[in-house]
Amino acid sequence: MLDTLLSGQLLFSVAVLGALYALIGLGLNLVFGTMRLLNIAHGDFLMLGAYSGFWWFTLTGISPLIALPLTALGGAAIGLTLYALVFRQQLAKGLDPAVIEARSLLLFFGISVVIQNLTAMAFTATPRAYRHLDTVYQLGETAMTGNRIATLIVALTILGAMLVFLNRTLFGMEIKALIQHREAARIVGININRVQMVSIAVGFGTVAISGSLLSMTEQVTPFMGFRFTIAAFVVIIMGGLGNILGGIVAGFLLAIIEIYAVTIFSAEARSILIYGAFVAILIISPQGLLGRARR
Amino acid sequence: MTQMQAKQILVPVALTALGAAALYGGALNTGPYWQVVALTLAMWIALIQSWSVFSGLTGYISLGHAVAYGLGAYLMATQFREYPVWVLVPAGGLLAGAFALIVAIPVLRIRGPYFVILTFGLSELVKFALLRLETALGASSRLLFGAPGTVELLTWMIALAAAATLLRHFVGISRFGRGLIAIREDETAAETLGVPVTRYKVLAFALSAVIPGMVGAVMALRSTYFEVLQVFSPTLSFTIVTMAIIGGSGDARGPVLGALFLVSLSEGLRGASPQLYLVLLGICLIAFVLFAPNGLTGLLSGRRK
Amino acid sequence: MLRRQLIGSIVGATALISAFSPALADDPVRIGYTIARTGLFAAAAPSQEQAYTLWAEQVNAAGGLDVGGEMRPVEFVSYDDESDPSKAAQLYERLITSDEVDLLMAPWGTPHHLNVAGVVERYGFPMVGNTAASVMIREVEPGNIWFPTSAIPDQIGPQLAQMLSEAGIGSVAILANVLPFSQENLQFLTPALEAQGIEILMSENYPPDITDMTPLLTQVRAAEPDAVLALTYPADAFLYTGQARELGIDPQLQFLLIGPTIDAFANAFGPVADGIVTLAHWSPEQEAWPRARPFFDAYVARFDQEPDYLDSALAYMSAEILQQAVAEAGLDHDALRAAIAGGTFDTINGEVRFDGVQNAVTPTAFVQRQEGRMQLVWPPEIATASLVTQ
Repeated sequence: MLDTLLSGQLLFSVAVLGALYALIGLGLNLVFGTMRLLNIAHGDFLMLGAYSGFWWFTLTGISPLIALPLTALGGAAIGLTLYALVFRQQLAKGLDPAVIEARSLLLFFGISVVIQNLTAMAFTATPRAYRHLDTVYQLGETAMTGNRIATLIVALTILGAMLVFLNRTLFGMEIKALIQHREAARIVGININRVQMVSIAVGFGTVAISGSLLSMTEQVTPFMGFRFTIAAFVVIIMGGLGNILGGIVAGFLLAIIEIYAVTIFSAEARSILIYGAFVAILIISPQGLLGRARR
Repeated sequence: MTQMQAKQILVPVALTALGAAALYGGALNTGPYWQVVALTLAMWIALIQSWSVFSGLTGYISLGHAVAYGLGAYLMATQFREYPVWVLVPAGGLLAGAFALIVAIPVLRIRGPYFVILTFGLSELVKFALLRLETALGASSRLLFGAPGTVELLTWMIALAAAATLLRHFVGISRFGRGLIAIREDETAAETLGVPVTRYKVLAFALSAVIPGMVGAVMALRSTYFEVLQVFSPTLSFTIVTMAIIGGSGDARGPVLGALFLVSLSEGLRGASPQLYLVLLGICLIAFVLFAPNGLTGLLSGRRK
Repeated sequence: MLRRQLIGSIVGATALISAFSPALADDPVRIGYTIARTGLFAAAAPSQEQAYTLWAEQVNAAGGLDVGGEMRPVEFVSYDDESDPSKAAQLYERLITSDEVDLLMAPWGTPHHLNVAGVVERYGFPMVGNTAASVMIREVEPGNIWFPTSAIPDQIGPQLAQMLSEAGIGSVAILANVLPFSQENLQFLTPALEAQGIEILMSENYPPDITDMTPLLTQVRAAEPDAVLALTYPADAFLYTGQARELGIDPQLQFLLIGPTIDAFANAFGPVADGIVTLAHWSPEQEAWPRARPFFDAYVARFDQEPDYLDSALAYMSAEILQQAVAEAGLDHDALRAAIAGGTFDTINGEVRFDGVQNAVTPTAFVQRQEGRMQLVWPPEIATASLVTQ
């Protein structure tokens, strides 16, 4: 047991899964942090990203990795459209955050239903999949499939870039300011609307990328998204809402529980362990692990 | 009896009784298909009213009512051969209420969106724990033969819907209810003013779980085949919240309107365009939030929340 | 001049319309069903509904359904049951009483079949089932529903154990999803393996939403079994196959319960899918069933994907059985019931005949993908190729 726990194989799995969870949670965290929108359609945008990966590869034969910027742009475009059509006016009304949360829950639920079913009508619900980068590489005792390595590299790169963006660029710091204290941000002269648009674009773009990455290893169906919506919410709540770094840490923590705790106990306990840990962490530390980012 | 008392007690009771009788009578006179529609309508009313007792008044949005429902259904499915239905339905409610009571104190310390997602996580936890239990029992799926027919289930459900409506109404006008509303407005202030915040929250939470537990127990009998994954559906929790917000959760009328709206919409769209109806339903929801955010009751009374 | 032209074009247009839409000219036979277009089972249902669609198109192209001698076109009345078995029951009631369909076809999945069984029984409306596979169907009273499938867990266990034994497998590692079909199979498989003297080195369950099997598979690899029996559902079948390969798990034989019969599985793994054994009782390679190959080719041509070797085949079989029964007995419920209960049918899966609710002819079988083709490898009576172990 101990040598399994210390093995490079498990470490690799934790790395890939953690990076993925962190990436999926990132977009949700940005959108919630800046605008208090409870995007329960988050996983459905991941699904759209997965379909784009599938269709891109099937129709052109080119790696979806190359098309990632396009996928991200597509995701961002959809997000911005929703923002312009629906959310901008809701947010401009200056409503109580609790009301915005409740309304966004409902709005995104409707959006989720529409997206899932339009996709099912367009592509049928038959599962889709393709082969790509499935060579297995050996590094000592650890075996790694090409597409999982690619997922890890892309996810880590984006996460790293995000942290740099948030902490070292003006835009990034404006986003953090907005997350921390909306009114103060406005007073200081930050263009709230523009910052919100950037958040949405980045948020939806990254989740589309994660969907495209997943399409290399999982089957793609119109209703695959919900699982990831749940995972994303668990991640960002554990890490503290709006706390980007917290979300990333929580993503890896979740992966650690999923892999290491399962090794110690049993695979059957996997879901009980994850949701149990989630509930326990919240009860002990109601603002999430690293605390809330806002006042 | 004063006019105020008549308005607050007699009228709602009479209206509820009338509504229940109308639904029941109407259903009995039409075919079995419409009886099931009536059953569905009554089910949603019972669920939303109960949800509203806690979430509507305190403002803590709970996505965990699937747990109450699921626990009641699970009890019914597993004990169906041992005990009669009229014992198991209330037992399901008690089980759900007891569970809510046990988790209430740690869970209710959490606020806002954290609370929302926590209730959801709790729901998943219970689901997987029960799945584990079923596997250990070697009974991953169960057959329920000889369950009562639609009419008997309809009777139960209309009774539950009426009970839930009256519960919501009377809690709403009681001192307890006013305390809950105070919690929604400003929890800290309420506490300073002497409202026993924790006790009230716990009580409302537990109370709101009882009827959904019974609803779950009754609905388990609709299906010959029982599987844990089916009764712990996350869509249930989301749909309850959706209908509550559409109907407006200010008082006991909202859930009835919300349920009526959604059920008639589903039935109308299903017949007209079977392929597209979910898409249109989604669009309707979105349109509703954008253009009628105070819910149907808000629309009807022209009131701003 | 103009008027003659006008009349000419009207006549021509009418002729054109009648030629292309026989439904306008004849009285169509209305067939009702519900299917899971949304919800938990939505990914699995298209394999069935597409088979239905193909069948209807073929029937109409050939001039219509033979209703006791009269040719009439076929028309579907279908609803989405949202993966909810009780909703399916309610909708079937609507199909029977409100839409007044002439015939019924089955929904997808065991829970749906079991629920709808009650409805068809109450109305005495015969319906041929298909994608139901649980020992529970043996508890259904014979009357108005029949199950052509042979993939029932209490047979699958012993047959699989026997096949493994004859292939010289001495030890196995079992992984099982906690969902009902996997668990039901596990219940019968375990004693069957023991009866054959096959050693069970490990037997672990996992939840349906598992995202990484590395810990489990590390355990499997360490156990070094002759065969790995993964009682999977489609999503975890994908996960297992990809990760087992990554970890270098390469036993003599790998068996996956549900998954490899899906078209997407072959697309995801290509030659890696070769050698994997799974549950199905149909293959286009079986030349003793002349209808098999044409169905396969027609399905591929129509949908640009392979049919599901289990679900699509069963769905199409149930349609063929209905078609042949109607040709003999017309639409009268009592006559139809007698025809289905007592008849012998020629389907893409060979001969089918019912004994009570169950198929008395088709044996419980397994298939294995060999060089891209799905071969029947068990039982020997219908095998199209021998089982290949490594």
